[in-house]
This record gives sequence, C-alpha cells and structure tokens, in this order.
Amino acid sequence: MGKPKIKPEIKTETVPTLASKWNVVVLNDPINLTGYVVMVFMNVLRIQRALARKYMLQVHEEGRATVWTGERERAEMLALELQQWHLNALLEKDG
Amino acid sequence: MAELRLTMTAEARNVLTDLLRLIAPAAARVSVNRAKIPGNDAEIASFWTETLSAQAAEEARLLATAFANAKGEPAVILLKNDGQAFAFLRALSAVRIALRELVFADVPDAALESSELLDDESLPTEKRHALACYSCFGLLQQSLIQQLDPEAFD
Repeated sequence: MGKPKIKPEIKTETVPTLASKWNVVVLNDPINLTGYVVMVFMNVLRIQRALARKYMLQVHEEGRATVWTGERERAEMLALELQQWHLNALLEKDG
Repeated sequence: MAELRLTMTAEARNVLTDLLRLIAPAAARVSVNRAKIPGNDAEIASFWTETLSAQAAEEARLLATAFANAKGEPAVILLKNDGQAFAFLRALSAVRIALRELVFADVPDAALESSELLDDESLPTEKRHALACYSCFGLLQQSLIQQLDPEAFD
C-alpha cells in the first residue's frame, strides 16, 4: 500500500492595510494676532473662513488644534508652510 | 490687488528702524530655532531647516529695506502685491517673536497683551522702549491684515 500523498493547500490573500496617517497640529502662542492666524489658515490650508476661525479659537482656548490629517508627505508640507508663517506647528502620528 | 500703504510718523519710523537693525538678524535665527522640525529623517530635517533659514533671512532683509526706504513725513511703506504684503506680515511676526523670546522672556503672556507695562516705571527704559516697538509692529501687522482682508478680525 502506498503512502497517502498529502498535498498542502496553500492559500494566499491580500489583506489591505491603511497607510498611517499624520496630524498637523498648531499650538497656541501669545504673539500672533487672531486675524493673522485666521488669514494663515485660510491661505495655507485652503479652507473657508468659518473653519479657519473655528481652528483659531480652538488653538486659543484649548492650546492646540489638529488642522489637517492625512498622508505624511502632505502633512510635512503643510507643517513646514505653517512654520514659514511663524505659527507653532508640528507633526504627530495619528492614533 | 491694489497697492497697500502703511503710514507712520517719521519719528516712529526712525525708532522702529533702529530697533530692526538690532533685532532683525536674531529674528531669523529665533524663528528657525523655535520651529519643531521632524528629526527622524536627516535629509528632511536639513531641507526643512534650510528652507526656514533662507526665508527668514530674506524677509528680515525685506523689512529692513522697506523701513529704510520709507522717507518723508509721514513715512509711507508701499507694498505692491500680495506676495510682498504676505512676506512683510511674516517678517513682522518673526520680529515680534524674537522680541518676545529675547527681551520679554520673563513677562507673562497676559501682561504682554495689556498696555499697562508701557507705563510701568519699574521696568528698565530699554525694555519699555522695546515693548512700545513690539506693540507698534503689532499695529502695523493689524493694519496690513485689515487692508488685505477686512473681515479677518471679525
């Protein structure tokens, strides 16, 4: 009697993984004027006045606001641009 | 965009110009040192630092030139387009940050916002002088922002 042939069954599957996301965070500072901060948010983040004002108030009252979340390369660009306007911006890994 | 004008007395212009000569080189350095640059990639960190340094130095020059060229009574600074106006705004911000960090590091935030310190005779004259300039730069910034965007402070 011959040995049973065992043929391993190999399955492969692709598990989708999410690329990690990055936050652009702005911290409060006592120097920059409120109107300046609103103008910078509108220009750099390309957002409407109402949202820019909401972020500005959040920074002012809570000390910080996450103003953008997404892929790292774009987050780096935005954080650098906000720093060029002398806002206290930094990058944080999301989650 | 229409030409933007910042007007001040000749005396104010002279005082601010003198202070700028002292603080502008430091302003470029302070704004780079203060920036939170991601440190986990040397190439990115280097690019980041160079970008901030080059821009800060250029804007410090722009500010010094604009004040030096503002002749007459009243002294007028003309900004011909958005790019110039934005660069001027950024430069004013850098100067205020440098003053805050180098001259008023011991002054609480709330006190800095109020004008009471200007009348505080216990402060050294140089400090009160620098504080007056700090407020003036803020007023110039506010005036420029209101011309660019009348709703900015609403």
